[in-house]
Order: sequence, then C-alpha cells, then structure tokens
Amino acid sequence: MWFANVVKSGLENQIFNPADVLAHATPDVLASHLPPELLSKVLAASLAAGAMTPERVLETVTPEMLATHIPHEVLWACIAAAAARAGVTNVVVS
Amino acid sequence: MNIKAFFSEALGQALELGIGTPDDVLRHVTPDVLAAYLPKPLWARLFTACLGAPRVDAQLVVETIGVPNLCEHVPTAILWHCISEIAQRSLGQAYTAPPAIVTRPRPPSEVSSSSSSTASGSMSASGSMLAPPPEALEAPVAQGTSPGKLGPSIPPVNEPLADLITELEQDERPITPSRGRTPTSQRFRQSNTGIGRLGATQQSSAQRRPQAQASAPIPSVSGRPRRTGTEVEDIEDPVREKEIAVDDSQLVDWQSSETTEARSDEDFSDLGRKR
Repeated sequence: MWFANVVKSGLENQIFNPADVLAHATPDVLASHLPPELLSKVLAASLAAGAMTPERVLETVTPEMLATHIPHEVLWACIAAAAARAGVTNVVVS
Repeated sequence: MNIKAFFSEALGQALELGIGTPDDVLRHVTPDVLAAYLPKPLWARLFTACLGAPRVDAQLVVETIGVPNLCEHVPTAILWHCISEIAQRSLGQAYTAPPAIVTRPRPPSEVSSSSSSTASGSMSASGSMLAPPPEALEAPVAQGTSPGKLGPSIPPVNEPLADLITELEQDERPITPSRGRTPTSQRFRQSNTGIGRLGATQQSSAQRRPQAQASAPIPSVSGRPRRTGTEVEDIEDPVREKEIAVDDSQLVDWQSSETTEARSDEDFSDLGRKR
C-alpha cells in the first residue's frame, strides 16, 4: 500500500505524470500483470472515449491497482527516475 | 477440418468486401472476451498500438490483433455468431441472437407456495437451473409410529401379523429343524503340493489306499545328463536295444500270486518318507 500512496502522491504533486508511469509500466508489463477484467476495462474505456491516453489508462488502473498487480520494482524505478530528474538523488543522505 | 482457418477466411473476406465491419466483430468479440482469450503478447501489442494511435476504435483493435489471431484464440461459437450476424444482415434477414442462459420459469402457483414456505428464498435465484430442487413431499406416516423416526416400517402390534408372532412366542415346543444338517465335507481334493500334506498323511495313514513301490530310475549308461522333457532330439537308448535273455522259470504268474493282493491292514504310512 505504501507504493500505491507514493505513486499517488507523485502524480498529485506532479513529480511524474501518467506518461512517466507508462514509460515503466509498459504495455508488455501491463499485459503481463494486469488481470483480464482490468485489461477489458481499459480497452472498453478507450473505445468509448475514442482514444487511449496514459491519463485514461491511469483513471482505470488506479495507483492502488498498479501497486496490487504491477511489480513494485517497476513502480520504484518510475519513482526513482522521477526523483533523479528532480535532482533529489543529488542530496547526500548521511 | 480446420474450422479456424475457415472462420479466418470468412471473416477476413467479409471485412475486406465491406459486408462486415470491425464494429460487427467487436459487438461479439467484446473486451471481456478479448481479456479472457487473447494471449498477453497480443494484449501488449494492442496496448502499444492504442497508446500510439490518435484514435482508438474497433478498426484499430481488429487490425492490430488481426483476423487470423482473433480466429485462433476466440472461441468458435462467438466467431460463428459474428459471421452469422453478418451473413443474415447481408441476406436481409433479421439477426436472432442465440439464447444466452437457459432458465426455466416457474408457474406462479409454485412461486407463491415456495415464497410462503421459504422466508429467505430469492426470486431471482429460484427460477434458475442452478436453483436447489424443490423440497421433497412428505409421505404420510403410518398410524401408531412416531412421525420423526427413520427406519423400516414395522407394523404395529395390533395388526393381524402380530397374532402370528404372539402364537409363535407362546409355543413352548423346542425348535427342531426339519432336516438334519450334515457335516460339511471337503469339496475339493487336496493338492499334493499342499503344505498340510505331511500332517494329513500321518493322521489318515490307515485309510489310504496301498501304493505300489516305484521302480528305481535306470541309471544313465552313457554318463550323459538326463534329458529333460523339453528336449526334442531323440537319442537312442543302448539299454533298450540290447536284448536280454530271459528264462521261463524267471517269469512270474501274476494271476496266481497272492503277494500282489492289497491288504488294507498293511501300514504304508512310511511310504512317502521312503520316497
């Protein structure tokens, strides 16, 4: 649940955006780990809206669902990359 | 019979000719169906295409997955309904969707009676084929027995059969069988190889029939090992070929000889041990 909260907080605070999440949670990763009903929901929502955008994907696949189904290493890589972009990793923790 | 190849060609031709549309396909091959049957690599390909496309529609889905892949993974019944709808529409006929779930409606009288008897029964579940069967009708209970007991129905004491039972119980005569039982004899012959043979021999040695002394085997003259029964080669026996001169005085008259008569009082109990 902690990873879900971190991803949610990162999105809300614009540390990273849905496209950054899907850059790590690639279609291969999503297809491999999301349950069939969630895959169906994503496709149905995209067909209904006429487009599949990262924002729409993350509306269906919420951070809680991401943390439930996607490996936490993938989520952590997304968070760590965003932190590196923000220059957080330059801070030396004693 | 390659039904999938047939469906692939039929559906592909229908899409090429414009008889059917990708929307027709996705009306039957829904996202739920795709989620259930499409393999993960194809889902990954679909996600990649959808995320990169400016517009996501049925055509994009069908083209990305491909008709051969659809026909390979989607159940043939679903594909058949899709092809059937396209065909019926092209023929100007109304498409009749197949029945989805077979349910058996219950008559209103049965519904009202069951709803009154069962307080927690739901109406939606009771009409389904998966609903539990109706309660068994209670059989009328015979008079004189307690209604809740299980077991064979024994007639009560005051019925006519009870008179016979009481007469039999009052009869003081000893019960004797009409036909005497004979001791059970052994029905099968004892095997000679049985392990109880030695004990039986000592016990019933007086009842056994006399047995003749077995002649000693003729030793092999040639010194060769004895032949077994499986050997087929015929070796001439030199003992048989040699003629032995016999005088008439050496012959025995078997008819007049009394020593050959078997007597029952002779003891042959140690015959088996000598052998």
